[in-house]
Amino acid sequence: MGVGAKEEDREEKRTVPEITLRPFTISDVDDFMTWATDDRVMRFSRRPTCTTKDECLTHMKDHIMPHPWCRAICIDDDGRPVGLVSVMPAPGADVHRASIGFDVAYDYWGRGVATAAVKKAASAVFEEWPLLERLDAVAEVNNTASRRVLEKAGFRREAVLKSYLVLRGESKDMIMYSLLSANSVVR
Amino acid sequence: MTWASDPRVTRFQRRGPCTSEEDARRYLADHVLPHPWYRAICVDGRPVGSINAKPGQGEERFKASIAYRLAYQHWGRGIATAALRAAVSSLLEEWPHLERLEAIAEVENPASQRVLEKAGFLREGLLRKYVMLHGKSRDVVMYSLLAAGPKLR
Repeated sequence: MGVGAKEEDREEKRTVPEITLRPFTISDVDDFMTWATDDRVMRFSRRPTCTTKDECLTHMKDHIMPHPWCRAICIDDDGRPVGLVSVMPAPGADVHRASIGFDVAYDYWGRGVATAAVKKAASAVFEEWPLLERLDAVAEVNNTASRRVLEKAGFRREAVLKSYLVLRGESKDMIMYSLLSANSVVR
Repeated sequence: MTWASDPRVTRFQRRGPCTSEEDARRYLADHVLPHPWYRAICVDGRPVGSINAKPGQGEERFKASIAYRLAYQHWGRGIATAALRAAVSSLLEEWPHLERLEAIAEVENPASQRVLEKAGFLREGLLRKYVMLHGKSRDVVMYSLLAAGPKLR
């Protein structure tokens, strides 16, 4: 990102975006394509960058529509999605744990959109899933943009997990972050 | 059943103690025998514990997580460390695509943390409320051992 950290914070204090989260519909595909085909957004993603509308439609049908918790990030002017935030419950018996991920269209970077979306999503899932105690996320060591989002959203850095995932054919070291319901929810 | 029914051993395991021979047989049939990698740890030819490895799926297939348990009367003799070392050796050979082996030990289980360290695993950090064990979420220490060995990045 071209904006330095301090400048970014000042910008955010001026214009904190009002965002809403809503489920996707298949008719969101054109807006979805805006970021899903953009390497600048997708280069750190587990998902490959889509290249065609058909690929995007398939991805939406196969992964987004059946997802346990996936939301379009909308900025309230016209309600059109500018990004995505999703929360995936941990496998098996760990019902107390889930992982969060997010993508925001490049033109909307630097405005605090992802941070606001992550905060809203965290609130929502801690409320909807009363057994949830831990929300975590991993980000590549040099994905400074996403790491700042998580830090600003109140996540705590826990560890560097070496060769944790293979992304785009290479094994990557990932930083594990977590947010506990005990630290963020008044129940 | 020696170790599987002993709460001192199962204290740090997801599964509670086996309560009957029937229970243990069913566990062996349903879980142990069909498992991708499950081995008995033997002393003088007799099983005194077990060790298993679970490979990841999809983009996580380059890693596997290891877990082990040992009958209480055999604790403190370096058996678990030796078993881990042997398992790591075998796994790196049998699964050449493997890049990362990981293991977790509860914060309150320093014995297991020492075993992992002696077996060459490196501590990566404390993951808060990472696992659910006997109805309560627990903090664990994450350990890893890389196929490529420790690297300066």
